[in-house]
Amino acid sequence: MALIPAGDLLEHFRAPRNSGVFPSGTPDVFEGRAGEARRGREIQVQLQLDATRRIAACRYRVYGDPATIALCSLASETLPGLSLDQAADWRGMALAERLQLPAEKRGAVLVLEDAVRAAVRSYNRAARPDLVAGDTGRN
Amino acid sequence: MGVSRHNTPDIYLDYAATTPVDPRVAERMAECLTQDGLFGNPSSMHGPGRAARAAVEKARAQVAALINAGSPEIVWTSGATESDNLAIKGAARFYKDKGRHIITSRIEHKAVLDTCGQLEREGFEVTYLKPDRDGLIKPDAIVAALRDDTVLVSIMHVNNEIGTVNDIATISQVVHARNALFHVDAAQSAGKLPIDVKAMDLDMVSLSGHKVYGPKGIGALYVRRQPRVNLQPLLHGGHHETGLRSGTLATHQIVGMGEAYRIAREQLAEEIPQLAALREQLWRLLKESIPAALLNGHPLQRVAGILNVSFPGIEGESLLFGCSGLAVSSGSACSAASAEPSYVLRALGRDDELAGASLRFSMGRFTTPAEVEAAARIVIGEYQRLKALALAG
Repeated sequence: MALIPAGDLLEHFRAPRNSGVFPSGTPDVFEGRAGEARRGREIQVQLQLDATRRIAACRYRVYGDPATIALCSLASETLPGLSLDQAADWRGMALAERLQLPAEKRGAVLVLEDAVRAAVRSYNRAARPDLVAGDTGRN
Repeated sequence: MGVSRHNTPDIYLDYAATTPVDPRVAERMAECLTQDGLFGNPSSMHGPGRAARAAVEKARAQVAALINAGSPEIVWTSGATESDNLAIKGAARFYKDKGRHIITSRIEHKAVLDTCGQLEREGFEVTYLKPDRDGLIKPDAIVAALRDDTVLVSIMHVNNEIGTVNDIATISQVVHARNALFHVDAAQSAGKLPIDVKAMDLDMVSLSGHKVYGPKGIGALYVRRQPRVNLQPLLHGGHHETGLRSGTLATHQIVGMGEAYRIAREQLAEEIPQLAALREQLWRLLKESIPAALLNGHPLQRVAGILNVSFPGIEGESLLFGCSGLAVSSGSACSAASAEPSYVLRALGRDDELAGASLRFSMGRFTTPAEVEAAARIVIGEYQRLKALALAG
């Protein structure tokens, strides 16, 4: 059943917050990608870290249905303030509930979580190669 | 402009899904409901019954006239879906001793495809022809599929999603050369294109009321009398419609469809160029701003009012819902409950992603150039917004 966006979902779909990418050359930005357009959704997340290695800001590009776009927008407001460890364990299901996504739309959450995790891994690869060796990966 | 239940003005470009009832039709219908009108049962022999019967027969003549049929060849049904069911199941079951092979196409309406599916469960064999890349079913493809045991071929005149027009006159010749019957679903072409059942040599034609500014819940099946086409009825009861379709005749619906077809016949020649101009205006505006946009279906062999366009690089559901204020279809309205990409566009070779990102615009009697321009603005704006959100490439 196609989703009819309403409430917060419609609001975030129509006016997504923090969309786009940081200007090229912005320091402390790490990027992750997940999903495939040909399978319905693809997300690229950029996380900018502050001096304490917490997420200062988030940007994204997204191809997908209204649920995917709204999730990215809501996540971009939720992720700032998290430490990298918290981001690595981040779960988007609470956002899906806030947007009242039906079960068949919750695949979008998994793609978004994968993109966030990929961004954290990209930081680890660049800045903490000692950890990467022990990182078995979560997906 | 209509008003949606959210009280925002909607530009209605979904005439292929359904049309508003023409005010002249609504007026005729209202005359058939109350005590001072034609409320009688058309099967009754008394005065009110005979008056209602006269109105039903006038409507039958009006419907027959649009397709150059004889009045007795028109059977009232509840709509084109029932007409398709009656034609296909009715003929297949009646002639089952002659053969059990049926030919249709993969891009027929579900009313035809699902009916053929039911016949397969009853032991018939069905060949589903693939359209060419332009969405047409070529007579050659029919010739190649015809067999000695083929009893029925069912091919639509105009495709409901992409608006392509099949050459039913030539298809009819090749079907009859092999002594099979030919059924045409004309739900999208009646009142939009000239149809002449005699010149085109058609055996059965499904017709709809609500696609032609008539009411929903009424349709008709043309069933040829000379030579006679026999059908096994689906409904049994009071032997209405010479036993082909029992059930008390719905005078108001029938009168409404008759009036709608009368108006269609009167305005056809004038409406075709008007609708074609609106369709070309919309395509030009979209293509100017979105050069990547792709037209679905044959560029010339198409009905005036329908334009189906794919928008590469953006996701279909977002496009549809982003175009708020614009009433259009993604795929066909009949399958909009499912988010599956259109099976018609898939059959044309569009991949899932592109088929999903397609819109069907259908213009009608009350569409204005200003509405078309506003619709193009909405779609172009939403395309550009989603494209900017999406990943590059």
